[in-house]
Amino acid sequence: MHGRVKVKSTAQQEEEKRKEREKKLKAFVSARDAVLRKRSAGEHDEEALQLTQQLLSSNPDFATLWNYRREVLLQLETSREKDEVQKLYESELHFIEACLKVNPKSYGCWHHRSWVNTRLPQPDWTRELGLCDRCLSLDERNFHCWDYRRVVVKESGVSVEQELQFTDRLIGSNFSNYSSWHYRSTLLPQLHPQPIHSHRVCEEQLLKDQLLVCVCGRSELSVEKSSVLQAELQSCNQLLELEPQNKWCLLTIILLMRALDPLGHEKETLAHFQTLKEVDPMRSSYYSDLCSKFLIENTILKMEYAEVRVFSLSNKNLTTLCHLDQLLLVTHINLSSNQLLRLPPQFAMLQCLEVLEADDNAIESLEGLYHLPKLEEVSLRNNQICKLSDLESLASCTKLTRLDLRGNPVHKTANIDSELSQLLPLVTALSL
Amino acid sequence: CLSLLSESDDGNFILQGTQVKDVVIKPEAPNTLLLDKHADYIAAYGSKKDDYEYTLSEYLRMSGIYWGLTVMDLMGQLSRMNREEIIEFIKSCQHDCGGISASTGHDPHLLYTLSAVQILSLYDSINVIDVDKVVDYVKGLQQEDGSFAGDKWGEIDTRFSFCAVATLALLGKLDVINMDKAVGFVLSCMNFDGGFGCRPGSESHAGQIYCCTGFLSITGQLHQVNADLLGWWLCERQLPSGGLNGRPEKLPDVCYSWWVLASLKIIGRIHWIDKAKLRSFILACQDEETGGFADRPGDMVDPFHTLFGVAGLSLLGDEQIKPVNPVFCMPEDVLQRIGLQPDLLN
Repeated sequence: MHGRVKVKSTAQQEEEKRKEREKKLKAFVSARDAVLRKRSAGEHDEEALQLTQQLLSSNPDFATLWNYRREVLLQLETSREKDEVQKLYESELHFIEACLKVNPKSYGCWHHRSWVNTRLPQPDWTRELGLCDRCLSLDERNFHCWDYRRVVVKESGVSVEQELQFTDRLIGSNFSNYSSWHYRSTLLPQLHPQPIHSHRVCEEQLLKDQLLVCVCGRSELSVEKSSVLQAELQSCNQLLELEPQNKWCLLTIILLMRALDPLGHEKETLAHFQTLKEVDPMRSSYYSDLCSKFLIENTILKMEYAEVRVFSLSNKNLTTLCHLDQLLLVTHINLSSNQLLRLPPQFAMLQCLEVLEADDNAIESLEGLYHLPKLEEVSLRNNQICKLSDLESLASCTKLTRLDLRGNPVHKTANIDSELSQLLPLVTALSL
Repeated sequence: CLSLLSESDDGNFILQGTQVKDVVIKPEAPNTLLLDKHADYIAAYGSKKDDYEYTLSEYLRMSGIYWGLTVMDLMGQLSRMNREEIIEFIKSCQHDCGGISASTGHDPHLLYTLSAVQILSLYDSINVIDVDKVVDYVKGLQQEDGSFAGDKWGEIDTRFSFCAVATLALLGKLDVINMDKAVGFVLSCMNFDGGFGCRPGSESHAGQIYCCTGFLSITGQLHQVNADLLGWWLCERQLPSGGLNGRPEKLPDVCYSWWVLASLKIIGRIHWIDKAKLRSFILACQDEETGGFADRPGDMVDPFHTLFGVAGLSLLGDEQIKPVNPVFCMPEDVLQRIGLQPDLLN
């Protein structure tokens, strides 16, 4: 179903192909019918193994055949001595390996191999590890094989250090090594149990590859971690000089700067985000949202230092709101001149809010402006509030007296003045 | 990045100096939606019962039927399919244990049990099978650690967690399983990048991410997802051609227009990909001659990629297609009729 190129060919080539396929189809149908007949008849013998073998080699996704094969093997077990059972299943492993050569990504094959190992009197985990090594050397991204390897490692007691060394070798020799990085991310915590809130620390060698995923934790930065990250930041900045359009570098620098000193690096961070949007325009929405998040975080940090109850982030290209749960004590919010589309439900947490300024955005939805007991004044000039129903939530804000809705499409609604005074009778100063 | 470009024999693949695997969309590739051709393609598919691909894919027939019917319904063409024949077929596929197989003579499995229940939901005929037995079958596949096996042979995979809860949700019977443990198992498959794999420790993969976010939506646990982190991993699937791959360093494939896009929709981050570029990629995967969609431009079409191409376009807002539900990959109007509207993150 995947990767089958549509190839144009002559009429004669088409005819030959058609005949070939017809022949193959007949053979398949005949073998399939024979197998299913045998199974219905309850026959669990060598012939069943032969017939299923034929079919499974080129049709390993025909799951029912693996099931039948297992039934036959279980039946044969009952009449054999332990050493014969060992041979029976070793031969089965041989067969599975042949199938894997044809289709290394068949769920059925890999599962059957795992199953066989549960039936083998003496599994050979060294051999299984060798199979994994070979398979991964052909395709380092084969997740079936990696999953199988994890089972083999667990059963045979291979050490974490050994597996880390294995990933080292692969990462060093192969560009497409995400699977190895992923595996490392599960191995490292076993060596160095981490505190609950931390994220993965960058490893120095990560930077040697262009494609890397690096999430740096902020909380509880020890002196040790801090100097490692500082060194990383230096390396990244050097790389950036060589490759100023390298988005991975830019993003890593931003994350490192946030981990080290979010407020001190704010200006640089904004500049890098701008470059990111130019270098990687497909994801500009992501960068805008991420930048918004960081600006909000910085503003919250500044508030904490100054103990203010005013949250002001006007004219900052904000595209999204977050961390509203950290603004529970805020009395005044200014979000004017941004690119917000909505005031999300979490806004309703701002139980101390008295004044909201959110002019010059693109706000269509005020879902979050409900049951705000202290809210007295709201300014939403030049937004995208279109219908009377968009304003319904405001009726639950019982202290609201001043509302500015100038420059919103809603003013075109018929009888808007009377409709609004009915909806919001307590509002005395209404501007449309 | 400036780098060397080269084309493979079929003119499709680029291997850049920095080794970004991708395809090149030829200027003559389709750029308008050919809905009628796709409807004709699906309506005729499987009518030639001696077709090679068709016969060899018998092991997944129930899912094949679900793909065909769903895409026809999304295009408003469900009436062209043979409802009675399909319902009889499904009845013949329910086994004594309650589970449903892909086709007659094949063994039951969770994958095909879900597909069958989805088909019967489309047709509002869920009671032609023994629903209680289906519920027992699904319940019986839950393991001690909360995971689900695909069938009695014990393969564990988060795909099956999704199949289990989706099946039970469609039947209104989510309460029969151990929900806490089921959720615990899925969460134990969450990785450093915010994504999910088949089993604990498995690498993140868009297909598994779709299953796990779908699972968490159905079970009301989406707050457990790190939406910003996962959303980033997902939007990084978009390649210069506009197409989406399933994980880093892989080629784009139209079916990821579903797995990735639906996941983004579920976690409220669909605006993080470039919609226009993705739409052009999906449209380029159409075959103007035969109808249907292929995995990538120029390849052979099949019903699987046809469904996910059309469903992807629906999620992107194409008004010629019915709205599709991102969790169940079924028309929204069907789920509204059933009364099933799982929460999504905003």
